[in-house]
Amino acid sequence: MKITKVIATAAVCSGVAFSASAQAQELRLLTWGGYAPQPVIDLFEKETGIKVKVTLSNNEDMISKLRATRGAGFDLAQPSQDRVASAQQEFRIYKPVDMSKIDKSLYIQSMLKSTQDSTSVNGKTFGVPHVWGTSGLIVNTASGKSAYSFADLCSEDYKGKVSYRLKRPTLIAFAFDMGEDPFAAYDDPVKYEKILSKVEDRLVSCKGNVKAYWSGGDALINLLRSGEVTLAMGWDAGGWKLNKENKDINYVAPQSGALGWVDTFVLPAKGKNDEAAYQWINFVNRPEIAALITSSAGQFTASAGAAAFVEEGLSNSYKASFDQAALDNIKWYPPVPAGLETLEGKVLDRIKAAQ
Amino acid sequence: MTSAIDLSCLSLHKSFRDFQAVQNVSFEIPRGSFFSILGPSGCGKTTLLRMLAGFLEPSSGEMKIKGRSMLGIPPNKRPVNMVFQHLALFPMMSVAENIAYGLKRRREKPDFIKRKVEDALERVGLPGIGDRDVSQLSGGQKQRIAIARCLVLEPDVLLLDEPLGALDLKLREHMKVELKKLQQAFGTTFIYITHDQSEAMVMSDQVAVMNKGRFEQVGSPQELYYHPKTPFVAGFVGENNRFSGKVSNVSVHIVQVKTDCGQTLYAQQREEQPLAEGMDVELFVRPEMIHLSRERVFADENDMTGRVENVLFDGGNSRLLVRVDGTGSEIQVVHPQTSEFTNIHAGDQLHLSWKAEQSHVFASNRKEATV
Amino acid sequence: MSLTERWLSGKRVALFLLLMPLLLYLFFLILLPHLEILNISLRERVSYGVYEFSLGNYQAFFTEPLYWRTFLRTAVMSVLTTAITLVVAFPIAWYIAKVAQGKSRSVLFLACLIPFWVSELVRTYGWMILLRETGVISSLLQTLGLVDGPVEMLYNDVTVMVGLVYTSMLFMVVPLVSTLDGLDDSLVEAAYDLGGNGWHALKEVVIPYAMPGIVSGCIVVFMLTLGNYLTPTLLGGKDSLWFTEQIFTQFITRFNWEQGSAFGILLLVLSSLMVWLGLKLSRQSFTEAMGR
Repeated sequence: MKITKVIATAAVCSGVAFSASAQAQELRLLTWGGYAPQPVIDLFEKETGIKVKVTLSNNEDMISKLRATRGAGFDLAQPSQDRVASAQQEFRIYKPVDMSKIDKSLYIQSMLKSTQDSTSVNGKTFGVPHVWGTSGLIVNTASGKSAYSFADLCSEDYKGKVSYRLKRPTLIAFAFDMGEDPFAAYDDPVKYEKILSKVEDRLVSCKGNVKAYWSGGDALINLLRSGEVTLAMGWDAGGWKLNKENKDINYVAPQSGALGWVDTFVLPAKGKNDEAAYQWINFVNRPEIAALITSSAGQFTASAGAAAFVEEGLSNSYKASFDQAALDNIKWYPPVPAGLETLEGKVLDRIKAAQ
Repeated sequence: MTSAIDLSCLSLHKSFRDFQAVQNVSFEIPRGSFFSILGPSGCGKTTLLRMLAGFLEPSSGEMKIKGRSMLGIPPNKRPVNMVFQHLALFPMMSVAENIAYGLKRRREKPDFIKRKVEDALERVGLPGIGDRDVSQLSGGQKQRIAIARCLVLEPDVLLLDEPLGALDLKLREHMKVELKKLQQAFGTTFIYITHDQSEAMVMSDQVAVMNKGRFEQVGSPQELYYHPKTPFVAGFVGENNRFSGKVSNVSVHIVQVKTDCGQTLYAQQREEQPLAEGMDVELFVRPEMIHLSRERVFADENDMTGRVENVLFDGGNSRLLVRVDGTGSEIQVVHPQTSEFTNIHAGDQLHLSWKAEQSHVFASNRKEATV
Repeated sequence: MSLTERWLSGKRVALFLLLMPLLLYLFFLILLPHLEILNISLRERVSYGVYEFSLGNYQAFFTEPLYWRTFLRTAVMSVLTTAITLVVAFPIAWYIAKVAQGKSRSVLFLACLIPFWVSELVRTYGWMILLRETGVISSLLQTLGLVDGPVEMLYNDVTVMVGLVYTSMLFMVVPLVSTLDGLDDSLVEAAYDLGGNGWHALKEVVIPYAMPGIVSGCIVVFMLTLGNYLTPTLLGGKDSLWFTEQIFTQFITRFNWEQGSAFGILLLVLSSLMVWLGLKLSRQSFTEAMGR
């Protein structure tokens, strides 16, 4: 009698242990809002049996989190391509991507190539592209104005009705608008500082135009939707989302060119489930899956065949924002050399403090 | 000069919603006297005191200090000061600062204040402790500082709200004497409220016995003790044996009472409200007025034998509980510690007797609760 | 070893074991992180992953006017917030401790507590919904015809102050109520009786009596306000400038942990210094104020 009891207990224990090991098949994903919609997660789990645990974040937060743990806690992360190489050099928080495990055929080749180049450190590739988008202007076109530039953010016409982020893209945008090429000056700190100080003067002098500095996409959309803000620097996806609700509001590429960014996939240095990570990367690049992500995030992906699957409304908004010339004029962010951000930080602090 | 009146109240009333806390109270207090208001808790004495201090306004009636009406005058403008039940010494100030507080409010000059404070400390017998913290004082010292704090202002009337209540017995006995001496030394009119009849009796020139919002009797301690006018006063002031019964016979000066237990007792007829045969009455006799003897002596109107049930030994306050033969009633008698009686034990036979004028008889108001 | 000695030492071990969680907590979660932050604050990045000892981060605070001005502004606003909170909270605390009876007393106390049942973020967004240009109050004023156009009540120092006072209220009311509770009413009456008026009673009796409560409330409110991040940032908008925001920015958006750590240590030291100064000026001892 006693013996059977012991055996029964042992059986229960092993049962528990078994289910625990099954649960270990988990992918901990550190990503942006909308990049891993629930339908995609469900499809992925159905196909592979791997559960996906999503943590939402942004560029700075991703790097801070990984830095704090020295690359542990997540199996896959999605920082922008310009933030991969320098963060790797500085903090060693990523591990190289094994390109042989990536299905390259699914990609827009030029984008894959440029991302590989910009995320390389010591000849090793650390990132592959996933979602791309641009920063430009979100405008209320009811005014009838046809062409916009970043300089309009400082225009008297929009006094008290303007919003932008007090972050580096704004500095870069104004630099381009003022006829400078900040990307070309990345490797020349002296010149870069000069450009920054010009931008600083400009932003301080027209600070009165600003209603509020936005910090989250939703906050910006609220400001525009309520009409408290009529001109803002923001992401294309936000503009297109508003365009769906209100035909007057849309995203436009400014004359000096929209700023293009690519969010990548990187493997955190102490990630535990690389296989699952590769599976996820290849899975989301399938055209029909990529289209699902596009409609959820409102951004387009690096998946080659996805355009055919994207809903009509979004592709119409997209076409209204970008003609071929505007597409060609996109300024893609090169990798940021370490140290630049300290310079930019001081500029941003001073703008914030200006009265 | 002693006949000058410091405080007079005329039909004071105070009610809180339906509750009559103070009803139709009138009295006059001559200058420099020690006046006590004695009553059980809830009798309205604190309400009366707070009206005098100015913390409460009377619902009706008049109240004058040295002939000046106090109605509508706030407490800080009255020539009256109060020693609170828990003294209310300011804990964040030193002893000297406490005493100086009222003088500062009067904008006196600093050196004048200093002199006054030192003088006050001297007079209450605590010279040189001005720098101490209040918390460093003993209970008795605190009392004296609280009184000094008021007296330094030379009020017309000093109100004291049971300030001895928190002290232990020994200290309380000591402070009674102390307070009386202080009052005489300063010559200020004191109004003292208490529920302790001994405090009131020892210190006061005049005592008002208060019950249910009314004054039952005002008089000197001796008057209250020897000639209580109401059963309440008889029961509350000093100790008393109480008997309920009916008047069975009335002669010119003597009332014969048949008690509920079947005893026959005699008392003096009341002059102001003569009692008639058949009335329900209550008869009181104090334990200390009963004469004890081993042998029977036919000297007094009241006369009985009994058996000692219990000896309640308390030194000079010792009592005997005596069960009266044939009636079952129990009488408390003072146990004199004289050689004749020191060896009394339970079960001993004793003779008790007292004169008719030593017992008091009142028409009973059976609903009235007596202590 | 005698039996009593053994018993005593056994008791000591038991006490030690009982205190262990607290000690571990203090060491690992309070002391250790601070030491690490101190360590980080004292180094400077030379190149990729290479650091060396430097006081540069501290120097930056004092040489860059932006930083110390921000700190000064934060400190002044915090002191002001503390003072306003005290002035607003004192009558409330007095009412709760001395006037209100029974049920209304607990209801009032609850009313002070209710705002804290939702998170600070939600509370602050609540204020934003009320005060923004298209918000409740602005629309109400327009409907009533009191103003012509929309009114923006967000993004200025007054709003920040209102938000901070609102957030701090409870932390002032609670210690005040608990000290005032102990105040014997007859002390106030005595102050009147001896010739003082309301102002004297307040100044010479009530306030000195409540001083430990006032001081502990002020310390808590001051520290909380100084260390607040959400309220000044969200309500202050583009001009908010709060020192904790600087720290956050250094850590999170600039990856400049070294500078952020230095700011953190400076905040700790300077605010402790201010509290110490406040105690000296009010002649209170910290242990007494906190012992309440």
